[in-house]
Amino acid sequence: MIEKNKPILEVKGLKTHFSTKRGVSKAVDGIDFTLHKGETLGIVGESGCGKSMTSLSILRLIPSPPGKIAGGQILFKGKDLVTLSENEMREIRGNEISMIFQEPMTSLNPVIPVGEQIAEALRLHQKLGRKAAWDKAVEMLKLVGIPSPEKRAKQEPFQLSGGMRQRVMIAMALACTPEVLIADEPTTALDVTIQAQILELIKDLQSKLGMGVIMITHDLGVVAETCDTVAVMYAGNIIEHAPTDKIFEHPKHPYTQGLLDSLPKIHEDQEELRTIEGSVPSPYHFPAGCRFASRCPFQQPICHEKQPELLEQKDGVKVRCWMYTDQWTGPVGKKEAVK
Amino acid sequence: MMMMFIIRRLMQTIPVVVGVTFVVFFIMQLVPGDPAVLLAGEGASKETIQAIREQLGLNRPLFVQYFDYLMNVFRGDFGVSLKNSQPVLDEILVRLPITMELAFFSIIFTIILGMTAGIISAIKPYSLTDSTVMIIALLGISLPSFWFGLMMMYFFSVKLQILPVAGWDSILHIILPALTLGAGGAAIVARMTRSSMLEVIRQDYIRTARAKGLRERVIIYKHALRNALIPVITVVGLQFGALLGGTVLVESIFAINGLGRMIVDAIRMRDLPMVQGGVLVASLVFVIVNLFVDVLYRFFNKRIELN
Repeated sequence: MIEKNKPILEVKGLKTHFSTKRGVSKAVDGIDFTLHKGETLGIVGESGCGKSMTSLSILRLIPSPPGKIAGGQILFKGKDLVTLSENEMREIRGNEISMIFQEPMTSLNPVIPVGEQIAEALRLHQKLGRKAAWDKAVEMLKLVGIPSPEKRAKQEPFQLSGGMRQRVMIAMALACTPEVLIADEPTTALDVTIQAQILELIKDLQSKLGMGVIMITHDLGVVAETCDTVAVMYAGNIIEHAPTDKIFEHPKHPYTQGLLDSLPKIHEDQEELRTIEGSVPSPYHFPAGCRFASRCPFQQPICHEKQPELLEQKDGVKVRCWMYTDQWTGPVGKKEAVK
Repeated sequence: MMMMFIIRRLMQTIPVVVGVTFVVFFIMQLVPGDPAVLLAGEGASKETIQAIREQLGLNRPLFVQYFDYLMNVFRGDFGVSLKNSQPVLDEILVRLPITMELAFFSIIFTIILGMTAGIISAIKPYSLTDSTVMIIALLGISLPSFWFGLMMMYFFSVKLQILPVAGWDSILHIILPALTLGAGGAAIVARMTRSSMLEVIRQDYIRTARAKGLRERVIIYKHALRNALIPVITVVGLQFGALLGGTVLVESIFAINGLGRMIVDAIRMRDLPMVQGGVLVASLVFVIVNLFVDVLYRFFNKRIELN
């Protein structure tokens, strides 16, 4: 059995900022979460909310300059990744923490056979010889369900379909049996039928290898299918963090509610899809108060004055909203509707 | 597949070569000056000139002369020099290896210096090193080779006296001409390598390579360079053409008896068969180099369909 409760990755107050000519963009602005062994944590949010930057920060792959980790800690098995040297960090990348990227079409080197692209990580981290690394790479391709892996390993990416390339990416990420896998929109670029296969594959390998998975996505369907817990991000912050079933059944934050409301529902007669009015504030000029306040149907003066904290509620759900604090004086919108 | 491609490309060179003979032949007809007059020398009688003309077949219609010439070329007969009646091919076979040697060293210099400079620049873009290298490269492109050659000669041969002034006897003689000839190309290759590297470094697969924990050196030389070289190969191929043209100047400056100088001398003498032979062989070399570049290109970039 996999010991599920051991925290393997703890992110505390992580800030990733970009200094550009326009000013400082606070792409990730103080986020906290914990990933346990065998757990799948979903990070959801719209494009530009900072979810991809969070994942790149964990591996310290933020393009620098202009980006840098401006504060916080990333504790991996007790070590703070933020303070590690580049050499120490390299030993973790692709070895103990791996990443699958969004774009299978462009994330593989076009001129290197895919087998070699897997094998090089094995030679580097596991100190395998040429032959042994190659055999292991072929074995990995077989594991991710690529037919005739011996032949495929010798091919270059352009000879493989999108789904197969993503399988190669997964094989590459899992070759060194990492303890944490970060999957950044692993299925976004794929056909729906392939999506299900890839998600199934990740789940399957997770239960075999017992790794913690961070699933970054904007697709709530993917979250429902794969994640144990979900962190909803909005404008560089986590605004709600809860077990998946609770998020779907009783979303607390007005943004999460809006997000779920905007999903088309098959059983209801809908003339138009619901949307959330307004737009995300610029990461260069965040408002002083709650970042969602201007779009929030329940907004009160306090929402514009001070940013709420991410507070744990009685049911264990963490939410960043004044509505769930003692200071709240306004009407309690959907909060009461929640049974 | 590759063999078929090479054969097809070789077939395609035939019309190119025929075209070259045509252009060279007729352009030489437009050049003022009559070879028969030049050969007969000053003060020769009209009869003598006419006799020479008949002897050389210059009195026949142009197209007849041309087809005659073309047929002979395909038989490997490039005609005889009007100057000394020696077979043109013999002269070319003596001169060509010298020019090829010069071109070979120049292109090696172009590749090594150009790519190294480009990579150094690309690793730290917009740094002081990058700016310095790129300014030198800009100078390399801008300086005319005859001036650059003379300056090199003055500095290394006259002032420092570490390299021979001119001639073609030892490896030391090759250095200055090869540098002069390769400098412009090296500068272009450097700029091309830099921009191509900067483009490649931004790609997703480089991020993947980093996420794998690879060393920066491996990322640059294994993952980035092979991709960045694809457009550079084309530029090097084109540079080789420019380089062949450049041999004409450089061989004259450094008094090297290569093909380029032979062509210049022949043009001055209106030695038609010699000019035609020289230009024909030079363009043949160019065509073969281009074929070679195409094959290399395909080797580096297998995504290109072989058709």
